[in-house]
Amino acid sequence: MTTLIANEWAKLRTVRGPWLLIAVQQVVIVAGVSGLAAAGTDLKTSDGVRTLMSHAGLVSAIFTLVLGITAVAGEYRHRTITDTYLATPRRGRVVGAKLAAYTGLGLVAGVLSATVGTAVTAVCLAIEGSSLDLSNGMVWRIAAGIVAFNIVYAAVGVALGALIRNLTAAVTAALVWIALIETIVGNLLGDLGRWLPNRAGLALGYMPSTAPVLPQWGAGLLLVGYAVVIVVAAGATTVRRDVT
Amino acid sequence: MIEVRCLSKRFGSVDAVHDLTFEVPPGQVTGFLGPNGAGKTTTLRTLLGLVRPTSGGAFVDGVPYQRLPRPQRVVGAVLEASSAHPGRRARDHLRILAGLCDVGDRRVDEVLDLAGLREAAGRRVGGLSLGMRQRLGLAGALLGDPRVLVLDEPANGLDPEGAAWLRGLLRDMAAEGRAILVSSHVLSEVAQIADHVVIIAAGRLRYAGPVDGLGTGVVSARTAQAQRLRDLLAKEGCEVTVTDGTGVRVRGMSAEQVGEIAAREGIPLSALSEEGTSLEAAFLELTREAGQPAGAR
Repeated sequence: MTTLIANEWAKLRTVRGPWLLIAVQQVVIVAGVSGLAAAGTDLKTSDGVRTLMSHAGLVSAIFTLVLGITAVAGEYRHRTITDTYLATPRRGRVVGAKLAAYTGLGLVAGVLSATVGTAVTAVCLAIEGSSLDLSNGMVWRIAAGIVAFNIVYAAVGVALGALIRNLTAAVTAALVWIALIETIVGNLLGDLGRWLPNRAGLALGYMPSTAPVLPQWGAGLLLVGYAVVIVVAAGATTVRRDVT
Repeated sequence: MIEVRCLSKRFGSVDAVHDLTFEVPPGQVTGFLGPNGAGKTTTLRTLLGLVRPTSGGAFVDGVPYQRLPRPQRVVGAVLEASSAHPGRRARDHLRILAGLCDVGDRRVDEVLDLAGLREAAGRRVGGLSLGMRQRLGLAGALLGDPRVLVLDEPANGLDPEGAAWLRGLLRDMAAEGRAILVSSHVLSEVAQIADHVVIIAAGRLRYAGPVDGLGTGVVSARTAQAQRLRDLLAKEGCEVTVTDGTGVRVRGMSAEQVGEIAAREGIPLSALSEEGTSLEAAFLELTREAGQPAGAR
């Protein structure tokens, strides 16, 4: 299994795509967080600071989700999946190795995103003549939430890609769910909406929300539960399906 | 040694492969022929554990591919015209495959030389020509020094020089005692190197045997009682087809034998001839009546 995980890392290292995606992720975090400040978020309040910093969580998690989707669906897109399964006919192990490698990448992206998000927030506060208080527990709750959000979304992405296999379809489905469907369904569900996956992700990233949400730890557990369900479904179908 | 035994595969309502049985012996090149859509790729993918058979199975050294502990050491396969990530450098692509079959960088350089890709090793796959990508695929298949080689339409995208190089390579590999299975929809591509051919059409076996056995003659007869003659000959185990009402084409019997049966049964013949057919004609003949059992037309 270690060989397989090392092999997945080697695949990641030898192409530019994933690293480009992480670079763009950071640029969008800088633009997104500073944009909120420019749009007049009140940085004198603790809520304003929270709004700014936690924004990095949602932005980064969406990129990391897409990155995870490319793990399996990307191999279908470039037809490399044939060689991958020829070398390792036990496909469950391939998906397992990808989960390990990509959650590792999710950790890297999460730590980077939390750092950049915090730094940009600090700079915005400095411009306003204030400063970010690193002894404030909220800052660390948000940072930890961003990292966890990225790790879990990387796993969800890997599983989604293995389940849907078509790269374009999988990315579109994920983005449409986050941007559109969950908002609509969430409005219809009212209080029950806090059990929806992306709503749980936002709560895990400790974003302020007007809609009902679970506490951060509960949201984290729920999201991990969702990930487990999708991973199991992906594992079961991957082993059975024909690769034509 | 590859054995395909009673292999059937249905995709929904499509009978892609039906009750297919053949063997690929070591030390020979076996050509796997059939028109496009005949079920060649499905058969090869089933053999390699990528597609689940509906019934029957395929075995490498007596076990299904998925049970081979180190498959790349036993079977080398090229199924895609291009199976490397376009953004990856050729050498990196091979290194990644090498990592899974426990061979070192030295072997990577060896197969790069073997495939004539030394100069292209540092280039990204996306920038390589189709022929070079085919060579890269082959280099990857050879990494584990496998005893069995399975190639799906390997000549696609190769220029004449590349095709000649491939033929030489496969011949050498067979001479070393490896079992080689090469699919193609063009007989002439394979006829020059194959000792043995397996021909399928519409997922069914049409011929398995030596290339020389293919060129046997077809007997063509003409009679007003074509249907009756066909039924009689089919009962004798011949492959018979009726063409435009009065023509009968027979495979598996000499003109003399056909004439005797017609005389015995009192069927007047207006013509009887034996056609010595070329390999290509024999191939076309075999695959034309795709999907219909012998004598059904």
